Amino acid sequence: GGEELALLEKALGLQSGNKYGAQGERQIPVLQTNNGPGLTGLITIAAYLVKQAKKEQLLGKSAEEKAVVHQWLEYRVTRVDKHSSKEDTRTILKDLNTHLEDKVYLAGNSFTLADILMYYGLHHVMVDLTVQEKEKYLNVSRWFNHIQHYPGVRQHLTNVVFIKNRLYTNAH
Amino acid sequence: GALKPAAGPRVLNDFLADKSYIEGYVPSQADIAVFEALAAPPPAEFYHALRWYNHIKSYEKQKASLPGVKKALGKYGPADVEDTTGAATDSKDDDDIDLFGSDDEEESEEAKKLREERLAQYESKKSKKPAVVAKSSILLDVKPWDDETDMAKLEECVRSIQADGLVWGSSKLVPVGYGIKKLQIQCVVEDDKVGTDMLEERITAFEDYVQSMDVAAFNKI
Repeated sequence: GGEELALLEKALGLQSGNKYGAQGERQIPVLQTNNGPGLTGLITIAAYLVKQAKKEQLLGKSAEEKAVVHQWLEYRVTRVDKHSSKEDTRTILKDLNTHLEDKVYLAGNSFTLADILMYYGLHHVMVDLTVQEKEKYLNVSRWFNHIQHYPGVRQHLTNVVFIKNRLYTNAH
Repeated sequence: GALKPAAGPRVLNDFLADKSYIEGYVPSQADIAVFEALAAPPPAEFYHALRWYNHIKSYEKQKASLPGVKKALGKYGPADVEDTTGAATDSKDDDDIDLFGSDDEEESEEAKKLREERLAQYESKKSKKPAVVAKSSILLDVKPWDDETDMAKLEECVRSIQADGLVWGSSKLVPVGYGIKKLQIQCVVEDDKVGTDMLEERITAFEDYVQSMDVAAFNKI
């Protein structure tokens, strides 16, 4: 929660260094703002930070794009969790792989907050994938490799290596 | 070299399977150069290329301001993938297949022939199959007449054997005594297209060099 938001702040070029609290059993992040109500929840705070950084385009440009961005942010907090089962993880990778078949970014042609938060959310999954699994979820691998190279996003997180299987692969 | 329309879409598709852009991680003149060289969007079956095509199309208005410098088409294409695991890097560009044909005037006839051969091999390696194809990995022992046989030539003859569903792999020379070395060479075959009988027939046809051929190992993969 708090760690991820700190990463996001840097990725957005913000210097704020906010302090985040954590609420309840699921450790939902809380941000106490100076002049206003406290903000609760990853998506809420993330969207707030994007606006603070004056990068609203990261939330989507058209109405449809905004909706798709929000869809993936919702997906992130409801489905992608450090405690997901192996089977849940496989479903997520399968969903993503299908969605990314004809898209460069989650929302289509533009890089958005959805890409950033899905990248942070899935990092711990991608780090542990085998070579065969990376090949199996080829579109996810392509997307993940792209996002981790996006300036300012990866920061101190491990660089996940993707090697295209060259010669005698039977995983076609 | 000229544009190879037949080789083009499939090689482009495979190249883009794990990449968002032709070069690097941002759209650049490299993408524009390749985009403009295509007469039409790639067919739907090449969905990686189509994904890339539609994405680059969305940059049409900004194309002049994209970074980089447009180079000759022959400069773009599959090259050795960046390997950062620290394992021994392959400095020989064995897998360097020219996407659209090289503009290099100094290219000799031999280099051209080798490249076309490799492009054909690359294609046959990478062509998509709808169903799982039964393949086998075969290790062959090819024995020369005597210790004076030119083993380099012998290997060349063996590797010159081309067939749909046959891919040659690595090889080495193994001493068998009296100064004679046999060629041990690996290949991967599609079971329903290539069999050991056919391989034996074609290898032993090089009567000047080959005395006999045996299957040293045969594994289903």
